[in-house]
Amino acid sequence: MSRHSVRSPWLLHFNAGSCNGCDVEILACLAPKYDIERFGIVNTGNPIQADILLITGPITKRARERVVELYVQMPEPKVVIAVGACACTGGVFRGMYNVENGVDSFIPVDVYIPGCSAHPEQIIDGVVKSLGILAGKNKEMEFPTQLRGPVTIDRGQVDRRGLAGSVASLEKGCTNRGTEN
Amino acid sequence: MSYWIAFPAIIAAPVLGGLLHGADRVIRARMQSRKGPPLLQPFLDLLKLLEKRQFIVHSYHALLALAHMIVLWVSIGMLFFNSDLLMVIYFHLLATLLLVVAGYSVRSVFSNMGATRELVASLTYEPVFVLCVIALFTQYGTFQPAGILTSANPPLYTLPFIFFALLIALPVKLKKSPFDISEAHQEIIGGVEIEFSGFYKGVLLVSKWLDYVYVYSFLYLFSGGQLGLALAIFVGVFVLLAAVDNATARVTYGEMNRITLPLVIILVVINYVVLSIQRVAI
Ligand code: SF4
Repeated sequence: MSRHSVRSPWLLHFNAGSCNGCDVEILACLAPKYDIERFGIVNTGNPIQADILLITGPITKRARERVVELYVQMPEPKVVIAVGACACTGGVFRGMYNVENGVDSFIPVDVYIPGCSAHPEQIIDGVVKSLGILAGKNKEMEFPTQLRGPVTIDRGQVDRRGLAGSVASLEKGCTNRGTEN
Repeated sequence: MSYWIAFPAIIAAPVLGGLLHGADRVIRARMQSRKGPPLLQPFLDLLKLLEKRQFIVHSYHALLALAHMIVLWVSIGMLFFNSDLLMVIYFHLLATLLLVVAGYSVRSVFSNMGATRELVASLTYEPVFVLCVIALFTQYGTFQPAGILTSANPPLYTLPFIFFALLIALPVKLKKSPFDISEAHQEIIGGVEIEFSGFYKGVLLVSKWLDYVYVYSFLYLFSGGQLGLALAIFVGVFVLLAAVDNATARVTYGEMNRITLPLVIILVVINYVVLSIQRVAI
């Protein structure tokens, strides 16, 4: 049980190809009008100090490695919140050639916040709900559902970055990545 | 301070600093007409950090953070135990340098940049602290806090310009806007703090609180031990720092040095001139 995380959750906000609508709403929550600092919430830009991962956007093919990497670099206990219709299901971008239809195709999501864009009130509600889930979690390691790398242990420490697999392993024969280096 | 007060004060220093930090966050929120976090939020943050899973980049990196906190604590202890003020300042500088080494010891660009900025910041505020102590020495003939605290007229009245110079250096020391270049959360994500998580981030949080205690005990010297005056200084400086922090944007580090150093030197020179005129007049 992580009792204290509930009183001091730190956010990491990542834009995985959203239209910026939901990002603006998240920033509105942090600004004086909605003031989510009253719950002890701080917006850190640093995955290794964060407890809650807020993801907006449908996960574009470019963003998926980043999402997984940020996710594995967050120390447990942690929760993931998908903000906005396109983070939940792909929304207006669903089925397009360049997106992956929602955050949960790569990492486990704890709270879905619908809406295009999600209202600040909804986001606050979702974050508060996720605190209940955070309280029930412990230090046990959590893994992404796709792009999962091997667990290597070096001198008693888990190699966190190695936990994120590379896209090359996911898409054998994919042509539009082969030309990059 | 007598030993019976100094010992508990040293033990309680992080708690005092934590309360100051909490109060600071609340006051800043109120100034923006927000409710703000609870007063004990820094302690909740600390407890949270202690129960997170730990990541360590390499063991020296973590050890340096620990050493940073301990040396900082020692420097505060020396201040409370009436040690030489110059020694206190050098111990404090040593603590900063340990953090800088920690910042350079990892391969993170932000961490390295934060370490460089930490050095630049210490280049800005350390001379002010040293000049302040030298001025206190010329006026009171002693480098020890006890000699200053027992004298009849407090340094705030005899060295007002030095006090203003110190005020200019305080936002640099406490990493507050407009001089929070070494932390710069939106820019370099906390600088040297970036590679610390869990317990060791907690250690750095406690060091931040100790910094508050260090700065406010330095300001206490200027009250000459008069409690009413000390309270007025504390409240005034506290509110002023919060207001400035809210109202200003971050400057670049070049600008910081260009703004603060000439201003500080002018203030110090004015104070010396005034003092020597007084001496001659007497
Ligand atoms: S849910 Fe709608 S508003 Fe939000 S990022 Fe997606 S498209 Fe934009």
